[in-house]
Amino acid sequence: MRAYFSVFRMRLKMELQYRGAMIGGIICQMFFGIVLVALYHALYESKGQALPIEQVSTYVWLQQAFFRMMVATDPDLNDKIKNGSISYDLCRPVNLYWFYYIRIAAQKLMGSLMRGIPMMIVAFLLPKGWGMSLPASIPGLCSGLVALFLGLLCMCALENITMAFTMRTLDPRGMQSLLGLLMVTLSGNLLPLTLFPDSWQKVITMLPYAQLLDASIRLYSGEYPVSDLPVVLLRQAGWAIVLILLGIWMWESNRKKMIIQGG
Amino acid sequence: MSYIEVEGLRKTFTVRKKREKGKLFREKEIVEALKGISFTVEKGELVGYIGPNGAGKSTTVKILSGILTPESGKASVGGRVPWKDRKDYVKHIGVVFGQRSQLWWDVPIIDSFSLLKDIYKIPEKDYKVRLSELTEALSLEKLMRTPLRLLSLGQKMRAELCGSLLHRPELLFLDEPTIGLDAVSKLALREFLKWENKEHGTTIMLTTHDMEDIAALCSRVMVLGHGQKLFDGHLNDLLEKFDKVRTVSVKYDIGTPALKLPEGVNADQKDGEIRITYSPSELPTSNMLSILQNAGNIREMTLESENIDHLIAAMYKEMDL
Repeated sequence: MRAYFSVFRMRLKMELQYRGAMIGGIICQMFFGIVLVALYHALYESKGQALPIEQVSTYVWLQQAFFRMMVATDPDLNDKIKNGSISYDLCRPVNLYWFYYIRIAAQKLMGSLMRGIPMMIVAFLLPKGWGMSLPASIPGLCSGLVALFLGLLCMCALENITMAFTMRTLDPRGMQSLLGLLMVTLSGNLLPLTLFPDSWQKVITMLPYAQLLDASIRLYSGEYPVSDLPVVLLRQAGWAIVLILLGIWMWESNRKKMIIQGG
Repeated sequence: MSYIEVEGLRKTFTVRKKREKGKLFREKEIVEALKGISFTVEKGELVGYIGPNGAGKSTTVKILSGILTPESGKASVGGRVPWKDRKDYVKHIGVVFGQRSQLWWDVPIIDSFSLLKDIYKIPEKDYKVRLSELTEALSLEKLMRTPLRLLSLGQKMRAELCGSLLHRPELLFLDEPTIGLDAVSKLALREFLKWENKEHGTTIMLTTHDMEDIAALCSRVMVLGHGQKLFDGHLNDLLEKFDKVRTVSVKYDIGTPALKLPEGVNADQKDGEIRITYSPSELPTSNMLSILQNAGNIREMTLESENIDHLIAAMYKEMDL
């Protein structure tokens, strides 16, 4: 266990070094947040929607604040696969899947906290309707946080699945952009899932991508009442287990076929 | 029972090639990296493993370190099968791949080491003793707080070695550890490996292209070519088989007198120096010297044996590698 804890701590520390990237990320995500909120204001001015604009902008800001959690990939891990340094990790007395899983979790957690906290502070200071609103209730906030944790578990599992594809193709880009497209669309990053037609939402909210952030945001804003919490958490946990098992299976079958090329 | 026992180890790889024009499918080529090799190594031995590029050296190391599974054949290291119970097996071995890195790029090397401590569950006290021993032997003290990315190649290799030895492995695999290092770093590395082998009885298996590594370190050498073992024994025995010629260069006081050389021995002249290549088994060196001395007053003379790299090249050529 110590090994996994240690790699988690080390990756957290390492992420703290990239402060320049953090500032760049914040500026980029702030820009996207403002543009998206402006877009919904324009939409609401021409035709009012059932969903209050404050909820939409809160949704947008939370998605932007935790964007890093969703899309961060560890370039070191991809390089290891590409240049064969993974062979070192293969001769360590650890379970490779979990060793990488934990490393990714640390990066996603630290990366998104570093960006998310300053961004949320700014978003709270923006005028009403443009910025973030307070949580619907204290229990709502707490259950949102629990859901965020389960969402993180799903995200890391998805990342390890992408990694399993990279082991076969040796280049992360193809699968990353394909799965990335699915992710930004179906997770609500591009367009809040709350704005999709109700009949669509019934399906989309069941999919794994809705478990990443959407579930947590809806608990925060009161879209899902706190009484729904067990159902939401169960759905998230179910997906986390499915995705982790799928990833482990893919890694195991890769391991059997793996060739480390060259001297 | 020997410490390492390998019997009939085979491994093949499939290489897919670019489709040829006019053909429907890509061609597949089955490359036999190892065609059934067998050997044994005793505990505490320092074995060199040589062969041209693509001979199967690294494949053997990868199989014995539990990364690859062979198609057939048996192997056991200290009674364990490397590709079964991988997690339990790898605790006992250390590996250095000369062209890859195990330490974290953006992190001071001391942090990478302390991660290795947790990975191998090394007790704190033991870790401290071992770390100070290794950092002293590898002169790493001043570099401990430097991120890996700022180290030179030689410093990096020393740090990699330290990382691979922290958990006191019984067996250390070194895959081209001196690649790209300067003379000073190479010498220091060799000294260190000798020390580690002697002090701790660590069994070391070394693959390299640098014959001086072998000459300086290994009492025993195995030659691999086309996936087969071609030689196993002492380096000198190997060289004797191919070390057949000597070159003598002489300068005389006055000019270059004509020499009465036996048939088949040729002399080259350049800038007043005569160079003669002969084989001592046919023309003993003492006979050669008397021929030279009878011709005039010798001012300077050197006798050279063939460069070790040339010998190995000749050997590879003769073995058709």
